[in-house]
Amino acid sequence: MTIVEKPTTPVPKVVLHNTRTRVIGGIMIALALFVIFVFALGSSSGSHSQLTFDPVNTTNSPIRLGTLTVLTRWSNLILGLAMLGLGVEVFWRQPRRGVMARFGGVAVLLLIALLFWAARTGGPSQISYVNLTSILVGSSEVVMVLIYGALSGVMCERSGVVNIAIEGQFIAGAFIGTIIASKTNDFFIAAIVGAVAGGLIGLLLAFFAVRYLVDQIIVGIVIVTGISFFSAYLNQQVFTPYPNLNTGNIAPSLPIPLLYKIPIIGPLFFNQSGFFYCMIILVCLVSFALFKTRYGLHVRAVGEHPDAAATVGISVARVRYINVALGGAIAGIGGVAFMASQGQFLPDYTSGFGYIALAAMIFGRWRPSGAVVASIIFGMGVYLAANLQEFSVPISGEILQMFPYLITIAVVAGLIGRVRPPAADGKPYIRD
Amino acid sequence: MWMSLTSQNPVIVTILALILGFVVGAFIIIFTTASILDAFRGFFSSWSAPGHAFKITFDNVGAAYRDMFTGSVIDPAGFWHSLTTGKGWDNTLTPISETLTYATPLVIVSTAVGISFQTGLFNIGGNGQAVLGGIAGAVVGSMIKLPMVIHLPVTLIAGILGGALAGALPGILKAYTGAHEVIVTIMENYVIYAFLLYVVLSTPYQQPGQSNDIGRSIHSSAQLPPIFGDSSGLRVSYGIFIAAGVVVFAWWFLERSSLGFDFRVTGASPTAAKASGISPRAVVVLVFLISGGLAGLAGIVQVASTTHYVDGTFLIGDAGIGFTAITVALLGRNKPVGILWASLLFGALGVGGRAMQAATGIPFDLATVIQSVVVLFVATPVLVKEIFRLRAGKTQALQLGTQGWG
Amino acid sequence: MRLELRGITKRFGSLTANDDISITVEPGQIHSLLGENGAGKSTLMNVLFGLLHPDEGEIVIDGVVTKFANSGEAVRRGIGMVHQHFMLVPVFSVTENVVLGFEPTKSMNRIDYKKATEDIRRVSKEFNLEVDPDAIVENLSVGIQQRVEILKALSHDAELLILDEPTAVLTPQEIDALMAIMRSLAASGKSILFITHKLKEVRAIADVITVIRLGKVVGTAEPTASESELASMMVGREVELAVQKDAYAPGETVFEIRDLVVRDERGLAVVDGVSLDVHAGEILALAGVQGNGQTELVEAIAGMRKVESGTITMNGRDITNESPRKILDAGLGHIPEDRQRDGLVMTMSVADNLVLNTPRRAPFASHGTRNLGAVMKHAEQLVKDFDIRTRSVKDPVSSLSGGNQQKVIVARELSRNIDFLVASQPTRGLDVGSIEYVHRQIVIHRNRGNGSLVVSSELDEVYALGDRIAVMYAGKISGIVDPSTSREDIGLMMAGTTAGALRD
Repeated sequence: MTIVEKPTTPVPKVVLHNTRTRVIGGIMIALALFVIFVFALGSSSGSHSQLTFDPVNTTNSPIRLGTLTVLTRWSNLILGLAMLGLGVEVFWRQPRRGVMARFGGVAVLLLIALLFWAARTGGPSQISYVNLTSILVGSSEVVMVLIYGALSGVMCERSGVVNIAIEGQFIAGAFIGTIIASKTNDFFIAAIVGAVAGGLIGLLLAFFAVRYLVDQIIVGIVIVTGISFFSAYLNQQVFTPYPNLNTGNIAPSLPIPLLYKIPIIGPLFFNQSGFFYCMIILVCLVSFALFKTRYGLHVRAVGEHPDAAATVGISVARVRYINVALGGAIAGIGGVAFMASQGQFLPDYTSGFGYIALAAMIFGRWRPSGAVVASIIFGMGVYLAANLQEFSVPISGEILQMFPYLITIAVVAGLIGRVRPPAADGKPYIRD
Repeated sequence: MWMSLTSQNPVIVTILALILGFVVGAFIIIFTTASILDAFRGFFSSWSAPGHAFKITFDNVGAAYRDMFTGSVIDPAGFWHSLTTGKGWDNTLTPISETLTYATPLVIVSTAVGISFQTGLFNIGGNGQAVLGGIAGAVVGSMIKLPMVIHLPVTLIAGILGGALAGALPGILKAYTGAHEVIVTIMENYVIYAFLLYVVLSTPYQQPGQSNDIGRSIHSSAQLPPIFGDSSGLRVSYGIFIAAGVVVFAWWFLERSSLGFDFRVTGASPTAAKASGISPRAVVVLVFLISGGLAGLAGIVQVASTTHYVDGTFLIGDAGIGFTAITVALLGRNKPVGILWASLLFGALGVGGRAMQAATGIPFDLATVIQSVVVLFVATPVLVKEIFRLRAGKTQALQLGTQGWG
Repeated sequence: MRLELRGITKRFGSLTANDDISITVEPGQIHSLLGENGAGKSTLMNVLFGLLHPDEGEIVIDGVVTKFANSGEAVRRGIGMVHQHFMLVPVFSVTENVVLGFEPTKSMNRIDYKKATEDIRRVSKEFNLEVDPDAIVENLSVGIQQRVEILKALSHDAELLILDEPTAVLTPQEIDALMAIMRSLAASGKSILFITHKLKEVRAIADVITVIRLGKVVGTAEPTASESELASMMVGREVELAVQKDAYAPGETVFEIRDLVVRDERGLAVVDGVSLDVHAGEILALAGVQGNGQTELVEAIAGMRKVESGTITMNGRDITNESPRKILDAGLGHIPEDRQRDGLVMTMSVADNLVLNTPRRAPFASHGTRNLGAVMKHAEQLVKDFDIRTRSVKDPVSSLSGGNQQKVIVARELSRNIDFLVASQPTRGLDVGSIEYVHRQIVIHRNRGNGSLVVSSELDEVYALGDRIAVMYAGKISGIVDPSTSREDIGLMMAGTTAGALRD
């Protein structure tokens, strides 16, 4: 017999008057105009911006790239016009897909223009060059932590469980990590123990959410609050009498021979701590597992349609327990990684990174690859906001601190409704 | 967004959850107090060792909890003394007064959170909203001079408006873009903390002559004075009447008012709400305005009644009142009367925790940990019943709100 | 396989859903299980499929007593189930759905998609069920999705196929196609257990009919039995299959839709230029398989969905794109398709649900404060008038049976002084008694001189209620005809043929 496919009524080329797309386009245009008028025209015609690419300690690189000098006004004008082009396209054509990708593009251009402007000669800044390499390397720490968090989110949510407790797993990992690292100076063991801690927290979350059907967000928030205060408690009980358990230990960089000498890319990818390399491996592993293996198909089925999975004999509860535990373990390692980049533990110094990681996961559409891209954008934003003060930008430090969080809000507001989470995400699975 | 909680005997479950919470707390004390651990290490060293270990355990845990009780409620010995001699009431009543003082803003914020939960929305931004309300009220209270009759109400209203302003952002974003309020409110908290630092460091609000992060003190015409006067040392202020008023208002609003009915319908079934004519956008925005406004009121009440100024650690170092409010609201099952009792209980825990810290050195954060444990157990009556093997009733776990990012 | 259910009993608390049920299905037999909604069919199937464990009784397969720990075991033992609500992951491809749980693997746990696709093509050819293995399930029509479900069961080497209410979502032509598939499967030796409440289908396809009522087997019948015989076995009493209506005397037009276009989230026109009108004293029945735009049409009428172009007029007043509040106040009564999601707040009391649409109207509230006494009085009155079975009006409406829940909605709407009633799938999932009741209420509304639009995918209901019948397909109206039109013709219209083409 013949197939009767559902006939799709041909869609006339009617432009949807989608208000939200217009708003996003409007914002892009506004940012573009800001760049043009403030960053481009606002800088005198003679000022230069200098981009350098050599890492700070230049002894390792035989190839030196030198400095790229551009005229600030013209460069920013070009950047601004590019942004304007994207913004007008979104506003006018209202494409149905890829709006946020274009917005991300505008954000990147804005960051570049901002850097040019901040580091221009003739401006208030003492420093008149921007070291691209050091910015990339510097922000890679934040990016790495965010990727750990977003990856954890992906693991959990792909199986249908919302993990709000990532922040808590970071804190736990950082706390335990510093104790182990201080005593043994062995970051590998610290990572393992941190993973176990994170995994146990994940199991706790899964226990309440899967078996007792408590709302996952409530459990997550209560767990984070509990951990936050518990760690402050232990900080007093343990670190005050025994400060040698919280010594400043920064994970050493492990340069990969030869490759680390490549300009820009070398210091960024091949001269990082073990945690960085581990992160890259995890991203590949999770991607592979989720989309190519039998295990991954089961996980995604449970996250999209748990009933369908149950009727073919897949244990929804087991899949969720495993994934949330693994996700928790990844976040735990992330916490240790964060500690290893800071050198010690301080209460609440993760500053909401766990939640920004969730936003990155959403921005990345619950795919490891997307989470990486999103984390890079968010991570650079956080890093720049913290370090822009060097350039004597006329915005007070405290206001600058707000920016990463404001950006996260903007992203989340712009995206929801345009992205599809796993269909059963967040819903408790009730066996009848 | 729907909340469904049916439990056979909620009071019993709560009490049992409390007991469990204290048991867990006891274990934490045991495992983190050096002297107890030492005693157990020598458990098998002699015949009297086990008894000694247990004695040390009970002494320490008992002392901790006893100090908690006397520090937050009453010291029976002191009470007897005052009763018989008629003197020293100030000292005897101080613990209760402290508990009430601590509970006053907590009741208000928790009510705010409870209203939002009943509508199926997660307002995790209670802390930030309280801070913004505190800032707004403190600015009005310290930089303008007015007679008290006007000044105090105006200051309080400024606090409400500040909190409502903070609530407007997640409300409008959720209503018009569907942005998930959990992330927005949590991010907003951090934004407001940064704003707080900015205000007390870089604006005219900074205390003149100070380079630290301290703001101006509000004038006496905008303060909420202690009920028993400054000399008594009892800090409980007229703020408790405001708190009581909020509870009454919340009860009336949710149970009797039409708008409250709309809120509850939206919380129980947003789809049915929409089909029956309720505008989901209007409800979402209004919920956050009301919830934020109440949180802001809590913030200014805290300022006006205790410290009289706002500094860089306002409400942040103080057990993050917005997060305690979440646990209180859950414990009180989002109902105003339940929230009142839960606030008193957690207020006592908080104050008691501090007293315990002063007496035994155990950091007061332990009290917060106990709070978290209690709430987790309360939120899953099924688990509590399993542990205590109560008669199985038709119990469902506490479920709330939008599930997932929806 | 030869399947025997011996003495299966399953209880849920005080409710005995299955009471000592015994059935035998022979190989190559199409055995139909007939029972109305709530009779216990789903429970029995869940027991057979390993999702529930029976309290008493046993399952015997080819003479061997078998127990299933979970549905995976049942599948491995050769039992395949085609669920009423498909167990397909919408975002997965056909291949991924079919192999789920039984994936062929390569090294490193990778799924061997090449082998999987080959296997699917093979089974598909063997049983003449063509599907495209790479298609994404959510883009397929409902009939094809069902085919994927069947394929899934067959690819697990099912010997017994259970089909649970499979025809609810199909056009008459698709139903015929399904029956042909069933016959060919039976001919190749498979056993088929076909669960339904539809009398016509049972007589058309079954070799043996087992009738179940209130959890017990009432008896077996031959397909030669008459519909009314089967119906009275199913319900336990004489069933009035037709609904008494006054003479049809339509008045002026009270409700009109002109060239309505409604788009969904993806920009597709799910309502694509619909025009119809309803007169006073008339019921216009809108027939059509679910998924052709009826849901969105009703949502648009009720103000829950945005209309892109076209108009909706009620009593001369344009209500296009007005808010639901204004539309309800203007006199629209709405019985929604999904009563638990849109019509009731399950956790709230019966009394509150009875004022859900008009909580602010006097006397239920004044100056923003509710008058709880008035709400209670109103509820007591309605419970009496409409015979709603509930212990107390304060009980949550979730404690009511499906039929009584629908009565709450009907009572609320019809006592509200409305002009025009829109009822969407008003008797879905209800037992026969409740179906009769709801139909009677709608007819009373009509006999009083009001207009109604009844949307239904059940042709029996369409014929019983409709003074005129409109048929919807792919967002358009294929035609508006009178009830003397044959079922075949209506079936063709439901699949796209226009009324004009039929006449030629």
